[in-house]
Amino acid sequence: MKTYIILFFTIIATVIFNTGCNFSNDSNQVDNDSLNNVDLNGEHSKKVKKIFYNVPSPIEMTSVIEKSGAEYKPEILNSYKIVDKYIKVPKQALILGVYGSDLSYVRLFDQIQLSINYLSSIKKLCDELNIPEEQGSFAISRMETNMDNRDSLLEIVTETYASADAYLKENERGNTATLVILGGWIEALYISTTIVDFDLEQNKAIIDRIAEQKYSLSNLVELLKSYPEDKDLQEYLPLLEVLKSKYDLVQIEYIKGNVVTEKDKKLTTINSIAKVKISKTSFEDIKASILSIRSKIINN
Amino acid sequence: MNSILKKVAIVAMVMVLPFIVNAQCKGFTKKECMPSLKPYVYNGQLNSAVLNEGDVAELLLTFYSGQDYRIFVCAQDMLGNVEFKLLDTDRNTIFYNKDHDFVKFWDFKSNSTQQLIVQVRVPVAEVKSEIVQSGCVSILAGFKE
Repeated sequence: MKTYIILFFTIIATVIFNTGCNFSNDSNQVDNDSLNNVDLNGEHSKKVKKIFYNVPSPIEMTSVIEKSGAEYKPEILNSYKIVDKYIKVPKQALILGVYGSDLSYVRLFDQIQLSINYLSSIKKLCDELNIPEEQGSFAISRMETNMDNRDSLLEIVTETYASADAYLKENERGNTATLVILGGWIEALYISTTIVDFDLEQNKAIIDRIAEQKYSLSNLVELLKSYPEDKDLQEYLPLLEVLKSKYDLVQIEYIKGNVVTEKDKKLTTINSIAKVKISKTSFEDIKASILSIRSKIINN
Repeated sequence: MNSILKKVAIVAMVMVLPFIVNAQCKGFTKKECMPSLKPYVYNGQLNSAVLNEGDVAELLLTFYSGQDYRIFVCAQDMLGNVEFKLLDTDRNTIFYNKDHDFVKFWDFKSNSTQQLIVQVRVPVAEVKSEIVQSGCVSILAGFKE
């Protein structure tokens, strides 16, 4: 009898505790009844319990810059020195994303000391956001001992962001994780649009990658919409809708090809062709729109 | 009295079960799944949820041309053989792991940038039981620079 009473109160206390910790606006965990308007297949998506929206990471976004031979312009970045001016949580989350892209960019040009400086500011922001160090893997000492190893640097940057994202989402702070993603995506696009010259043939790969962000933008908009009660995220929604309207003029035409699966290599190759059409005017409009969102993010 | 308390305890246990299962998802991806993505670079976004048997989850993903991708579907063992498919936006199947012994990961290469859908389905237990099986499922995407 006594055992049941103890068991009963333990369970009730656990339920209350769990509910008490669950005050965040993390509506992304709801079943997808509210997400049925996604551009998949209306009828089908009703049966899907959860839809995830993925937005490219800063590393993925900036990797194309390396191949293009674009010039290194550190002066365009958001300085790591001004980290202390960001004191509000939403701003700190956005800047965490911004610094992630800045760090990915300087890493491409082997700027090790600058990479360490950015990582130090990232660590500071993570402390402010209560992301535990063990989750963040901020091994600055690891970076210092791997100064000449770009792969190690890539691993540290990836691990840091992946761990921070996982920690935030697993602790019902998906809205904060989304702010980090938003900040990182905008900064990566800002860097890409700022360093390229539309008229240069060698920049075509970057221009195409910028144009292809049309898809990621749709994913990002859906991601933001899944947190309707987060006023900080919702503030950016109209700005992203404006950017989306600029992207509507970008045309991507597909020609489907065959699909080849090599069982021994565990590899499937999709042989389709995409033709990207973006005019200089559209590019400039997109660039201006990104600049205005980025200004809102980095200014207090 | 004893029997009433017993019933209340069972009801409370049912109420608390989702929280316990949710807690099981914590750390699962990092510990059990992320290491298997190597040598691919994890794209840094956690896509994990507690799913019940019969549930379907989808991840909308952009594959960029010239980059190689690894999709890894990581699920707790209790869920059995979790199925995953790669679909194009017209919902044509590009890959189905059921045709490959329910393999947990597969590599993909796209010659052009496109949106693709990773669809995951948790199997329904063959033996019907009162308790619905649930567990943590993560969809991870890695790419090669």
